[in-house]
Amino acid sequence: MGLFQRLANFLGVRKKDVNVLVVGLNNSGKTTVVNSFKSEDDRITDIVPTVGFNVERFQNQNLAFTAFDMSGHGRYRDLWEHYYKNCHGIIFVIDSSDRLRLVVVKEELDLMLQHPDICQKKLPILFFANKMDCKEALSSVKIAAALGLDKIMDKPWHISASNALSGEGLQEGVEWLTQQIREMLSVKS
Amino acid sequence: MSRGELGISRWLEAHTDRSAGLTTLPGNMVLADVAGTGDYHLVLTDLKFNQDTKCRLKVYKGTLLVSDQPLPDIPSSVVGFYADQLEPRIPVVAVACGSELFAYKNLKPFYKFRVPFCPLVDEEAGVWTEVTNSESFGADKLLNALKAIPYASLSARSQYILNQTSPILVAELLRKCGKTMPTKENIITCMASMARSSRDRRAIACPIIATEFGSIFVLDPQNFAILHQANTCNVKATPFIIKSTGLFDVEFRLLIATREGHICLLRKGWLEGKCLIQLTSDIVDMVAVPGDNFVIVATSDKALHCYSKKGQRLWSTTTANLVTCMSLVPLEHISTCMVAIGLKNGSIQLYQGRQPVDFTSVADSPSVITFGQLGQEEHVMVVITIGGSISFKILKRTADFSSKVQENSPMLQSRPLPLPKRSKLFLEQSIRERKNALEIHQTFQQDLIRLRLSAARALVQNLSDQSGIGNEKEQLKLSAQVLGLGPKFTVILSLENINPNNPLVGLCVTFHVNPLYYVLSLYAAKVPLIPPSLSYKLETKVEEVIKEGVESDDLPVGGGKGNCKVIRVFVTRELMPVPVLAATINMPPTELIV
Repeated sequence: MGLFQRLANFLGVRKKDVNVLVVGLNNSGKTTVVNSFKSEDDRITDIVPTVGFNVERFQNQNLAFTAFDMSGHGRYRDLWEHYYKNCHGIIFVIDSSDRLRLVVVKEELDLMLQHPDICQKKLPILFFANKMDCKEALSSVKIAAALGLDKIMDKPWHISASNALSGEGLQEGVEWLTQQIREMLSVKS
Repeated sequence: MSRGELGISRWLEAHTDRSAGLTTLPGNMVLADVAGTGDYHLVLTDLKFNQDTKCRLKVYKGTLLVSDQPLPDIPSSVVGFYADQLEPRIPVVAVACGSELFAYKNLKPFYKFRVPFCPLVDEEAGVWTEVTNSESFGADKLLNALKAIPYASLSARSQYILNQTSPILVAELLRKCGKTMPTKENIITCMASMARSSRDRRAIACPIIATEFGSIFVLDPQNFAILHQANTCNVKATPFIIKSTGLFDVEFRLLIATREGHICLLRKGWLEGKCLIQLTSDIVDMVAVPGDNFVIVATSDKALHCYSKKGQRLWSTTTANLVTCMSLVPLEHISTCMVAIGLKNGSIQLYQGRQPVDFTSVADSPSVITFGQLGQEEHVMVVITIGGSISFKILKRTADFSSKVQENSPMLQSRPLPLPKRSKLFLEQSIRERKNALEIHQTFQQDLIRLRLSAARALVQNLSDQSGIGNEKEQLKLSAQVLGLGPKFTVILSLENINPNNPLVGLCVTFHVNPLYYVLSLYAAKVPLIPPSLSYKLETKVEEVIKEGVESDDLPVGGGKGNCKVIRVFVTRELMPVPVLAATINMPPTELIV
């Protein structure tokens, strides 16, 4: 790496491209979360169930994010694992009002963590306990306990309660993710 | 990878509430999108059999109870169906209580349908007409008249009168309601719904009602007018489970299980059902498998029977315990339809065809099982037990039922043939054999002929091989070597013991020649012991006798021309007249030095 590039990196002038994977069950609000990261002009108003996946780009602190917004429907969840290899971070969106499917969330999370492309890497995982405005919503602490997040030792993780409709809690989470990815990249280079 | 083989359940235990205190019966629990948001709710009736508390209609959103309202009577059945095409699509939940059908929309009652009264039996109608017309119809006379009529066919009022012990009470009753004719209520026993003209999941469907006296009504979903009315069977039968297949406007089949152990079939246009199957033991539950049109019936003698749509029995199997309830488990993503069977010991078995492929368990005997979409999750099994607990189980996305399944469709034979498992290799081979049958046969025949030829060649070679003569029985092999150009030769005999275990003893070798031609240095010799697998070499000098002027060929000794120039060797055993081995050594002609 040339001196100029190193300097540019140090000063944060040059943008780095990072890939993040947005996963979670259907109707958990993944597309809404990604939508609220985009600039005001690019936002879409009608959000429909995603088929397959969408690719969205947004920026945060000189990192250019490419978000793979995966469909959460049962029949498309097989697609997730194909994107594990090239991602720098994972955003896992959870519907905190859906108590019934918390076991399904745990099952999918465990399947993901056991995947060979994930279990060897030190990927940061950001959990959004979404729909915190719903009256039957569980707190992020309860969700973390239900999913057994404390057992994840080898990966940095963070859970933040969010409301993707108003954007509450999203910035806090994505800043943590940016920080983690920056650290990871600086260790690598 | 099959998870079942690793001992991991295919079901996720989503939620269990042991203190729910629900009492419900088969046919009283449905999964419906009652809010019209695509978020399916669980609708069930909670039965209370004591006089003070009322039965309730309860709605669960996910695991939370969101609505709880009292019902006017003890409900017998609940169905959910779409009545109109209005957006948002909200289904009607119909609850049958007594002879009335209460239709709820948005969890609010909006319509009550009353099943038409049954006509009174002629005799009873005659008695009551007399009672209403004449002022002085005595209580005793009435009782005697009613007693002459079969009790079961009487109206509720007549039955009540007959049950009164004192004639004063009867007279009292007679005075109270003697001026009106009694009515015979047609109590609803079970319900179903049937799509009207489209197979879509949200298609408009008609409710179907079956009553205590065996009448079947198909109702219009919008105005609850009777579209079709029929009788269950030509004999007295009380339906208690009704299942529908097909479309009302096109062709439909209604399967009705009765308390008398019949299964009756009712098709479009029929005014009376036909008894398809007659069972000797009581029917516990019945499901109609869509697609194949099979009927699976559980009976009270721990048996499961599967019948074709024509009523032929395809298979029967026994269950480990008493069956309490059944439910269809349609799995569209793997295009199968399984049947969940709740057993009294609290286990729920999943049958694919006649094979149990999976099981899961609940706290105690399940009383109702329902499978379908709940909330956002498509494959949820809701189980309510007799003890009142409610459990939600979710089928894992990765659940794999394929590896254990050997037989998909039920077969007519009682026992499957003991066929070996078909491997991939076997399949490939059989495909190849079918494709290139001629070439494979020809190649095989060619190789067989080649093998026979080479075997024959080896035999001929062995027979014609002079140097290696053996006696299999004595385990002795003799070979001879002729050295020299002549007239002096050296013959080296080699005797080999081919027996790997025993040595050879007591053998002699005798040379036999025509003395006119050959003179030998040694004519007979004793062979010492030959150890196993070793050989003994014996040397003899041969000198050809050459006589001047005589052509060796002309000599008449030995008959044939070539036979004279030979040395015969006999291997004999002591005291045995027959030689063990004999050989002829053809001597080469002497290269005469002229």
